[in-house]
Amino acid sequence: MSEKNHLMTLLTNKMQRRTFLKWSGAIGIPVIAGGIGTKMLVDRKGEQKVVNAKEKEKIFSTCSINNCGGRCVIKAHVKDGVVVRVSTDSQESGDLSTPPLRACVRGRNYRSMLYHPDRLKYPMKRIGKRGEGKFKRISWEEAIETIASEVKRIGDQYGPESRYVNYASGQSWGLHGGKNAARKLLSLTGGFLNYRNDYSSGAGNVATPYTYGTNNSGSSFDSLLHSKYFILWGQNPSEMIFSTPYREYLMQAKKNGAKIIVIDPRYTDTAVAFADEWIPILPTTDNAMMDAMGYVIITENLHDQAFLDKYCIGFDGDHMPDGIPKQESLKSYLLGEKDGVAKTPEWAEEICRVPADKIREIAREYAKTKPAALIQGWAAQRQAYGEQFMRGGAQLACLTGNVGKLGGWAAGTGYWSRSDIVYPFSYKNPVKASIPCFLWTKAVEYGVEMTPADGLEGTEKLTTNIKCIFNMAGNMLINQHSDINKTVKLLEDESKVEFIVVSDLFMTPSAKFADILLPGTTFFERYDIGVPWCFGDYVVFGDKTIDPLYECRDEYDVFAEVAEKLGVKDKFTEGKTILDLVKESVERTKKELDPNFPTFDEFRKKGVYHFKYDTPLIGFKDQIDDLENHPFETPSGKIELFSKALWEMNKHDEIPAIAKYIPAWEGPEDPLKETFPFQLISWHYKRRCHSTYDNQPWLEEAAKQEMWVNTKDAEKRGINNGDRVQVQNERGSLFIDVKVTPRIAPGVVGIPQGAWYSPDKEGVDQRGSVNVLTSQRPTPLAKANPQLTNLVEVKKA
Amino acid sequence: MTKTTEPLHIQLQSFFLARKNFYQLLNLLFLPPTNKVLAGIRSSINFHELEEVHEGGEILQHFIGHLSNEQINMEKEEYQRLFIGPGPLAAPPWESYYRSKDQLLFEEWMYQVREQYHRYGLKYVKENNEPDDHLLLELEFMSFLANLNMQESNHERILELISSQISFLEKHLTIWIPFFCERVIENTESQLYLGAAMLLEDFLSFDLTTLIELREVLTDV
Repeated sequence: MSEKNHLMTLLTNKMQRRTFLKWSGAIGIPVIAGGIGTKMLVDRKGEQKVVNAKEKEKIFSTCSINNCGGRCVIKAHVKDGVVVRVSTDSQESGDLSTPPLRACVRGRNYRSMLYHPDRLKYPMKRIGKRGEGKFKRISWEEAIETIASEVKRIGDQYGPESRYVNYASGQSWGLHGGKNAARKLLSLTGGFLNYRNDYSSGAGNVATPYTYGTNNSGSSFDSLLHSKYFILWGQNPSEMIFSTPYREYLMQAKKNGAKIIVIDPRYTDTAVAFADEWIPILPTTDNAMMDAMGYVIITENLHDQAFLDKYCIGFDGDHMPDGIPKQESLKSYLLGEKDGVAKTPEWAEEICRVPADKIREIAREYAKTKPAALIQGWAAQRQAYGEQFMRGGAQLACLTGNVGKLGGWAAGTGYWSRSDIVYPFSYKNPVKASIPCFLWTKAVEYGVEMTPADGLEGTEKLTTNIKCIFNMAGNMLINQHSDINKTVKLLEDESKVEFIVVSDLFMTPSAKFADILLPGTTFFERYDIGVPWCFGDYVVFGDKTIDPLYECRDEYDVFAEVAEKLGVKDKFTEGKTILDLVKESVERTKKELDPNFPTFDEFRKKGVYHFKYDTPLIGFKDQIDDLENHPFETPSGKIELFSKALWEMNKHDEIPAIAKYIPAWEGPEDPLKETFPFQLISWHYKRRCHSTYDNQPWLEEAAKQEMWVNTKDAEKRGINNGDRVQVQNERGSLFIDVKVTPRIAPGVVGIPQGAWYSPDKEGVDQRGSVNVLTSQRPTPLAKANPQLTNLVEVKKA
Repeated sequence: MTKTTEPLHIQLQSFFLARKNFYQLLNLLFLPPTNKVLAGIRSSINFHELEEVHEGGEILQHFIGHLSNEQINMEKEEYQRLFIGPGPLAAPPWESYYRSKDQLLFEEWMYQVREQYHRYGLKYVKENNEPDDHLLLELEFMSFLANLNMQESNHERILELISSQISFLEKHLTIWIPFFCERVIENTESQLYLGAAMLLEDFLSFDLTTLIELREVLTDV
């Protein structure tokens, strides 16, 4: 048999219905004609080496700069241009001056973020209605041209105050980042409307200085090793981290024999890991317990009278500011001398549900065990009258004389910082006007009507509403701001905000509202230096481990090109690349701030630098040691338990001069509770950093998005663990699965914040994005976010 | 003892040419649907024949027969929704996505296909910028190998090339493509992509079977 016959026999006999001949006949004409479909596989041109699995890994030390309080060391193992795995700091624990900066579950997931199939890969422009989510791929040239022309058009038409760079924290603790790039561009082309404050400790940031003159009321972690008693009031470092080494110190303090009390509506992971006792409390009622603790301390004569006399204004009638009646004192308030209501533990129990005897016990222990650290988290100040919580904690620290002493803690906002680096990338905004960050939606709708009473500063009146928004690596445009439904409606109206630019890694709920959508880079793909929140004596090198994937670009480079179109490129870059900025920071930090700071190459190799100190930083030590030469930065130079400045605002009901309990709207005393019987809170979930990583399946496996409901409440409503429920109030409604647990106070439900708003066709969220239910009503003094003040109804779906 | 009427490699040329064309057609079907690409598809197919052998061909013929500008624009949007983004893709066109436990890109399978490209002196023009295991690249690689086969006269080399193609189909394309096609078929109402996905899946398994049988035959020769 000839070969040909053999072949034909094979091809015709063996194939049954679908024969090769038929298949080949179906495409008789050569397909590729005239260069359709560019060749993507090209000649390697002499590159002899064939990639193989045995090739050696190269390890780069890098760092994420998201809005986590901690910075951890991420080691990227790179092989043939691909990050094949990540590991973390291998430093041993033990030496507390160089604590290990290990990644938590979120950090371990970074490779999955880098190589997630949903990464934004190319620039896009919106083609559907705004928010609908329809986009068309465009070139970078078109994206840059559009941004440049719109920035100019809107600036010319409405003035610089119409341009706004929204609060965004996806890249917040590094040297450059999209937000700063946008701000610099706008600064060089007329300016932009500023914002002040933040969504984390917004009420506290404004309130604490009325007591202490500053927010730097904290002490360094090493001081905690001297504390004998801790109250962690609404603070949860086990889940939200706060600062990477913090838990290491808490653990050591505990080993030293300190007692730790956690006060929180939830039995948090922090309570599990550290607490000798968990005190559940109703949200928004913390000040009732604080008042009662003060009452016990005073009436049992446990207060530090000498401290109060010397350092404080307003404790008793003998230490009031000029012209203020004696009965306005803190003591008078606690004893009920003016209002006839003594702030007894029994009075407080009715409000906050902590048993009176327990309040007494904690007040006595806190006052008697010296030194003691009452450390406040910020969740409890993200409520209707959050200012009171922050000043209330400080008040207790003063009553017990724990301020300015080793092992004590002044409470209040509690920032501390003694280690810094140089930030070479800066801008100068010619516009002075600023709004509280939480009121940006108000400035979109009613900007020109805002007054200083709304927290407008730097001008008496705005000349325009916000018309152009840059939202760079942030989800505040929709997801993280209060009242999503309201914000959606506002932004859908294209006549209000006329142009929105978003840069991000993924298609977040905010990114859907972009007019121009830019693919940003992860920290793996750029140089930077990561610093922790204000707490921690360390900085982490952010090495570029691979080139940006797809058409992703650093915002710095993008805005440099926009600047070029607008004729200000030289002023924008000053001739520097991102790498130049990092090098400059390292060199200048060594020269100007710390001679022990490593060189660029040393820092890059080591990946981390620990600033070292012989003694702990103790908040207000200078003032307490020598008040005369180191007065507090308050108007009186003393600690103002009573603030005359607040008194003179003359809104005593909502902005009292001393910290006190004020029943919250949508708190447990609001009559609305009959319709919406549950108090809803949220918390920083361990599987996310705010809303970052919500689309990461591996983390969802680690900790599912679900709402906590107390066992008794669930029983009453026939809700079982794992059931799906509908949660609603007048602002909106969402669906979420339920975790039935005794780990949350009865009457309270908790949804982890940051889940991505995922509406169905009717606009009802299916994922449990808590801000569908939160309010845009600001706190009275700071105009801050009250996002943990909500009443809701829960029904089995 | 050679007594040939026509050298074997000449006999095989039409076979390899047809395969090369088919891979190029599949490549065209999954390129961004510009007017030019659609015209290319239209001119490449003997729809009557294709319709007979395959349901996907029938769907495609119907699609190509009713092309309007409006239709082309819809396909462009659909292409972007299925394969480009932004946002979660209805059918991610990369092998690693279907094979890695965590559905990631740039996983070990991408390395494996990269190694194959390198072995044949090729590299992805966007190496390390986009993953090498994109559908279009793997199809281009197959048509490249078919083309090499066409030009080869050495019996051993012919067999070697056939084995390479079998191996690439077995270890890569025929493993992930069924999952990919399932995603396309479940998620689209586009006649173009429905037909293309059906054709792709069936052609690959058919091609694999054919190559294996051909190798048996040629080994015996």
